[in-house]
Amino acid sequence: MSARVEIDFTLNGVRRKVEVPPAMSALAMLRDLLGLTGTKYGCGEGECGACTIRVDGRTVNSCLMFAADCDGRDVLTIEGLAASAQGEALARSFVEHGAVQCGFCTPGIVVQASQFIARHPGASEAEIKRGIEGNLCRCTGYRKIVEAIANAGSDSTFQGGAHG
Amino acid sequence: MAPRSLEAAAALLRGGGVTVVAGGTDVMPQSRSGKIRLAPVLMSVRRVPELKGISGSDGTVRIGALVTISELLESALVRAELAVLWQACDHFASDQIRNAATIGGNVCNASPAGDTLVPLLALEARVVLAGARDGGLDTRRVPIAGFFSGPGRTVRAPHELVTALEIPLPGPGFVSAFCKFGTRPALDIPAVSIGFAAVREEGVLRNVRIALGAVAPTPLRAVGAEGILEGKPPDPDTVEAAVRVVQEEIRPISDVRASDWYRRELVGNLLRRMLAHVREG
Amino acid sequence: MAEARKVESDPGFSLLGKRIPKLDAPDKASGNTRYIHDLEVPGALHAKILRSSEVHARIRSIETGAARALPGVHAVITAADVPWQRPIGVAKDHLPLKTDRVRSLRDEIAAVAADTEEIAEAALKLIRVEYEPLPVITDAVEALRPGAPLIHPEPHGANGSPHLKPGAPVAFAGKADNVAMTFEYAQGDIAQGEAGSDVVIEDVFRLHYVTHCCMGVSGVIAAFDPGGNLLLHSNTQVPFLHKREFAELLGIDPARIRIIQPPIGGGFGSKLDIYPFEPIAIFLARITKRPVKLVFTREEEFLASPTRQPVLMKLRSGCRKDGTLTFREVETLHDNGAYTSWGATTPFVMMQTISSLYRVPHCKYRTRAVYTNNPYAGSFRGYGNLQATFAVEAHMDKLAEAVGMDGLAFRLKNAQEPGEVSPQGMHFRSCGFKQCLATAAERSDFLRKQAANRARQGDPDPVKRGVGIASMLHVGGGAKIYPSDGCGTILKIDDFAHVTLMTGASEIGQGSETVLAQLVCEELGLPLSAVTVVNNDTDITPWDVGVHASRTTFIAGNSAIGAARKAKDKILSAVSARTGAPAEALALKDGFIVRGEEKLFELGKFLRSLHFSEKAELVMTTHYYEPPSHHQDRQFRGDVSAAYAWATQVCEVEVDTQTGIVRLLKVTGAHDVGRVLNRLGIEGQIEGGIVMGQGYAITENLVVENGVVKNPNFRDYKLVTAPEIPEMDVTFIETMDGEGPQGAKGVGEAPAICIAAAVANAIANATGVRITALPFTPERVYRALKGKLPSPEWNVPA
Repeated sequence: MSARVEIDFTLNGVRRKVEVPPAMSALAMLRDLLGLTGTKYGCGEGECGACTIRVDGRTVNSCLMFAADCDGRDVLTIEGLAASAQGEALARSFVEHGAVQCGFCTPGIVVQASQFIARHPGASEAEIKRGIEGNLCRCTGYRKIVEAIANAGSDSTFQGGAHG
Repeated sequence: MAPRSLEAAAALLRGGGVTVVAGGTDVMPQSRSGKIRLAPVLMSVRRVPELKGISGSDGTVRIGALVTISELLESALVRAELAVLWQACDHFASDQIRNAATIGGNVCNASPAGDTLVPLLALEARVVLAGARDGGLDTRRVPIAGFFSGPGRTVRAPHELVTALEIPLPGPGFVSAFCKFGTRPALDIPAVSIGFAAVREEGVLRNVRIALGAVAPTPLRAVGAEGILEGKPPDPDTVEAAVRVVQEEIRPISDVRASDWYRRELVGNLLRRMLAHVREG
Repeated sequence: MAEARKVESDPGFSLLGKRIPKLDAPDKASGNTRYIHDLEVPGALHAKILRSSEVHARIRSIETGAARALPGVHAVITAADVPWQRPIGVAKDHLPLKTDRVRSLRDEIAAVAADTEEIAEAALKLIRVEYEPLPVITDAVEALRPGAPLIHPEPHGANGSPHLKPGAPVAFAGKADNVAMTFEYAQGDIAQGEAGSDVVIEDVFRLHYVTHCCMGVSGVIAAFDPGGNLLLHSNTQVPFLHKREFAELLGIDPARIRIIQPPIGGGFGSKLDIYPFEPIAIFLARITKRPVKLVFTREEEFLASPTRQPVLMKLRSGCRKDGTLTFREVETLHDNGAYTSWGATTPFVMMQTISSLYRVPHCKYRTRAVYTNNPYAGSFRGYGNLQATFAVEAHMDKLAEAVGMDGLAFRLKNAQEPGEVSPQGMHFRSCGFKQCLATAAERSDFLRKQAANRARQGDPDPVKRGVGIASMLHVGGGAKIYPSDGCGTILKIDDFAHVTLMTGASEIGQGSETVLAQLVCEELGLPLSAVTVVNNDTDITPWDVGVHASRTTFIAGNSAIGAARKAKDKILSAVSARTGAPAEALALKDGFIVRGEEKLFELGKFLRSLHFSEKAELVMTTHYYEPPSHHQDRQFRGDVSAAYAWATQVCEVEVDTQTGIVRLLKVTGAHDVGRVLNRLGIEGQIEGGIVMGQGYAITENLVVENGVVKNPNFRDYKLVTAPEIPEMDVTFIETMDGEGPQGAKGVGEAPAICIAAAVANAIANATGVRITALPFTPERVYRALKGKLPSPEWNVPA
């Protein structure tokens, strides 16, 4: 298991070739190999969502994904999302709605929200709550996060043409 | 390793020393906690085309082992024809996990509380297995009720790969219900889950199937209770008789999630509730 | 105490009272914020700790040779390598690395520093420890019995070291019994109170283990420079106190320790004490002469970070037929765990609720915190008040029912009013308690719903509805846990009118940085963009007690206002000297120095012009605030806070009697917060606190069996998730506290405190069954409804 696997994938719009240990998680690769620390370790078991990233458009817990499995895929982290118009709109909405306290869960929720809004435009409050059921937040009580997501969903960057 | 055909995957598996990875959502945490040991070779089956897709023909729905829980939720066929499976998928973990986790992985992980296992039992699914032999593939089909041999254990041979689940398409009069007990909509290991399926014919239930999760070392069919309900209307007396039998049939344990006593109570109360819905529906 | 100052309710603020987004939020929402886990220190080693595999045992031997020989391992240490270590914690009964005995499963035996975390972990597996099991005590009642095995029978601690100064070594003396701490308080005469009672009730309550579950796990980075000065990147909530503690531990001058607090992934009281991992990282850094980073796994976080104090409590209460409370007698037993941290001192707060939430003439309170081999308890948002309020508010309902009064009228009859001094000596200068009660009850339609639910208890529908009310009293104006409460501020205005606010207060996500910036900018007539807050470096910022006890807005806020006013006075007197206008006629507004409506100077321009004045003076001021309240005496009489916060919460629940599932549907809260300074921020505090209270009441349960944590993960330790949150209706009662910053009082802990009590009352309203033990997880509720949940018993040795 000491051999490394070379993978070739797109990370935040940039093609990357990386050598990873076969058992390494995508989370460890992003944080420890590539220095992208916006994706957080919260539990390592897929229970908290702090490590949420998008792979080929869909959100996954990067702690449950083998880094080697990124091969050939399109990976988007909070850093890449934040640089896009949708990411900026989401971040702005989170800020304005008071959806951030300690902020540790925030990147994961923003990434999850970006997929959710794209796939469920005009979702109800109850649907948004289910949409982030895999993200734990210990500070806010979620209400302001739900408001922020609902509000961002009406932002023009998410209207029309958006797809997951 | 990421083979691009079923034959290549099966050949690798035959060589031994391989851990199969699909979504990774079980393998990764279990290997980290020491619950399983990773073999020298990790084989991602993600690129094997034969494991993909949902299709319906000749009265059977075929669900490729690599189909994710999210794909099941998005399938109009599953939603319309296999409601009990669709509901279980809706109660499956979280969006992030549904996007990664596969039905084949859920079946192979063989958790007594596995979310899709109960509906697959209720739908009398068959597990399709393929294994390499010299110059080709052997394929066999195992009824899911006979697939699980213990917690985390199945009758899959080490050289075999689960390629698909096949589910007979329900016919007219089919009724089903699903119940996962928990305080959260989905992100919860259930203390009890129940799947129910039957054909309603002139006021009586036929081909009754009751599947139960988290109440025994494997997900199981409550054969005795099924027999009580078979051919009868689900009236209160029959239901009570079925509940008494089902509570005898299960072998729940006490753990941090629930006591055996409570699991028995829940199975009874929830089954009563489900059958009341069937009766009224 | 002088007459309370009056605070104008609406002086036309431009920033205060508005919805102001947090200053740190844009970075956090973009993934830019670097928490301790994200910091990379060049050359740093990674540390891991070997913990006990026995609950209570003698350490026979520790074999570290194989671990030391592993390539990439720089150091493996045990207690033998740090003979100069000293006990830590509130009672100084806890050695970071255990010498000859482990007292709980979390106990630290050895630690490794290696090139990577993986190597450090591999090295841990090579360490062999030989134990000799000792009798295990995991029940606080058993621990009190005569002849019970002792947890701390012999002295332990430093045994001589050249590092220590004269006076050292310091050791924990050991205890002849298992009692870690006791508290006794009395007012009036219980016998007289009971004699004058028409109704007397008694119940036993049991409160469970929960833990903070900060989303960011614990971590620390320690580094020494060649001169022996220590730089610590720490998540602590009390940097200035820890400077001193670490200095004592290391035998160095506190002035040689610098603590930097990176943004922190949640605090909630979990980081008020020093825990062994911090000294251990420091030991490793000292020994390897390399920076050392130590970060927990989530499992470790569950096993080795503190819990809320579990409590067994007996409460006797009485009242007269007219509903007047007569007496209250409380005895509690706290499971301290193996060591003493802040959890043992929660009686300070509990006794306030017992004696002073409602008017009670006769009161007696006794607590014993007892050593066991369980995990040890620290401080956690609310600090004992959740436990005390749970019991008191259950009795308020039961007493009301016994005398045929409704719960609201009964509470209103006994509620404190402004100006009262409670028999414990707490001065309630601002007190919106009755408004809180009335508002929450009215907005939730409490009385009507309560009657309707009660009438429907016998209906066939298996799903019942219930409504419950509970109130709380908590410190809202600092907390004099130490001889002094205060916070330093240094405020600098540069010649572009940009303000740098250096405050001792720590931002831990709660939004203090933003509130302090608002208070200062409001004072100086500047926009928020004109301020930078520096609040995380002990070499730069002035002293502060720490972030706890809902004190930061009140204490640090007053200090910041004081500094801003000094700066303003300096500026206006310079303007006055220049223009001849009296300083009282001048003001700062919208970035200008104004006289009435007339703009005299743009502020930056005026400050720059000072360069060329005769006595050039950049504006720099300092301020320190110590609220002048009475201190408690040794009998616990007096004030611990300059102001008190009040709140009432009404909870509506649904109880599924066939499964025991309790759903919290709605919380209607009314909070006396003095004044709202940042509406967005205070809503966030209240909503987050409500949901944390919901977790305490319904979902969270750290299961500890025979000293073993059975659910050290988020799968089975259930935090509330988004779909489970209740509807929330929160009203702020603004009582304009005379001592508060612009009238505000602290609020951080308040919203979590009465949820469990109100939910208990709501379940009783729904089902007729009163459960006196938390949490209300489905099986426990179901058992209670079936009569199969034994009530807690008080069989505690005297």
